[in-house]
Amino acid sequence: MSGAIKKSTGLTGLAVAANPHHTLGILYSKILRTLTKMPGDAAYRKYTEKIVTERNKILSSTKDVGAVEKAIGCGQVEELIVQAENELILARKMLGWKPWEPLIKPIPAKQWDWPPAQIKEPKI
Amino acid sequence: MASLLRTISTGLRSALVNGAARTQIVRLSSTEAAKTEETKPTVRKHDVAVREQLSDFGRYVAECLPKYVQKVQLTAGDELEVLICPDGVVPVLQFLKDHHNSQFANLVDIAGMDVPSRQYRFEIIYNILSLRYNSRIRVKTYTDELTPVDSAFEVFKAANWYEREIWDMYGVFFANHPDLRRILTDYGFEGHPQRRDFPLSGYVELRYDDEKKRVVCEPLELAQEFRKFDLSAPWEQFPNFRNANPATEEVPTKKDEKK
Repeated sequence: MSGAIKKSTGLTGLAVAANPHHTLGILYSKILRTLTKMPGDAAYRKYTEKIVTERNKILSSTKDVGAVEKAIGCGQVEELIVQAENELILARKMLGWKPWEPLIKPIPAKQWDWPPAQIKEPKI
Repeated sequence: MASLLRTISTGLRSALVNGAARTQIVRLSSTEAAKTEETKPTVRKHDVAVREQLSDFGRYVAECLPKYVQKVQLTAGDELEVLICPDGVVPVLQFLKDHHNSQFANLVDIAGMDVPSRQYRFEIIYNILSLRYNSRIRVKTYTDELTPVDSAFEVFKAANWYEREIWDMYGVFFANHPDLRRILTDYGFEGHPQRRDFPLSGYVELRYDDEKKRVVCEPLELAQEFRKFDLSAPWEQFPNFRNANPATEEVPTKKDEKK
């Protein structure tokens, strides 16, 4: 595959990326930079950093696009770019939402009970 | 008796070459009752691996979003449900849609539910699908008649009509919805038909008036009397299932372990 120009991704509306290594590298570094603004013990930061650094390492290890796709195993490189874009937008929104804080509202009494009107003892 | 049968069977076996008949005779020759394994082919079996995977993912979601996730549970054996508080609709759905490990990009349906005995009587249920990981998840939240819920439109464009449907059927108000109108009921319709306190016969009836030469809309002649919503019956419906498994199984999350 190396050297040959990819004609199509085979997916509607998804164009072939001209320089996937460059695009992905920038996106991953942007995500990591956004994550550093979160508190260190936030689970979202921990897990996302793990995923992104892993992918970044694979990306920087080889110049072959096919090998990157195979090693990451999450679709074509164009799809990986879309995933990274989504994650970046999510991470930036997460900074505003702060989901690592404790639960804001406790469960209202009997809200998630099912069946709702349970017969506790048999009425005979 | 057994020896007699055996002699008969040996005699027959020499005569018959048919394999099917032979097995039948062999069965006749044994005096012990054949051991039959207890199988319930009508009951769907649960895949332990799938259940484990789902509860792991539920724990992952609860750990990443402790601010919004109230409870994680498995229903019907292998369906994952995340129960969240109403403020978390947009963050939780956005997380499930955009995170690398979830990618639930398809909104399959939004459903409503009305339980009048609860403090927050309406449940809003989001069914979402991840094509990447071939997996489904259900997100549930709650509200009452007056409290608006954030619209999921900014996350999933498909939420537009689903939320209009819930607004029409239950009267749940969605904040930030671009176009919150009725969608299923007729022009000028009043009330929300899927609420439990909406009478089966409705409030108005339509008929063709011969004198006016048009269809007229009038209040119902045979109005339904007031219904009382006491869900408990004087008898027990399913005594055989008194000690059956609960419909839902809670997935323990980190939050519970700390307590």
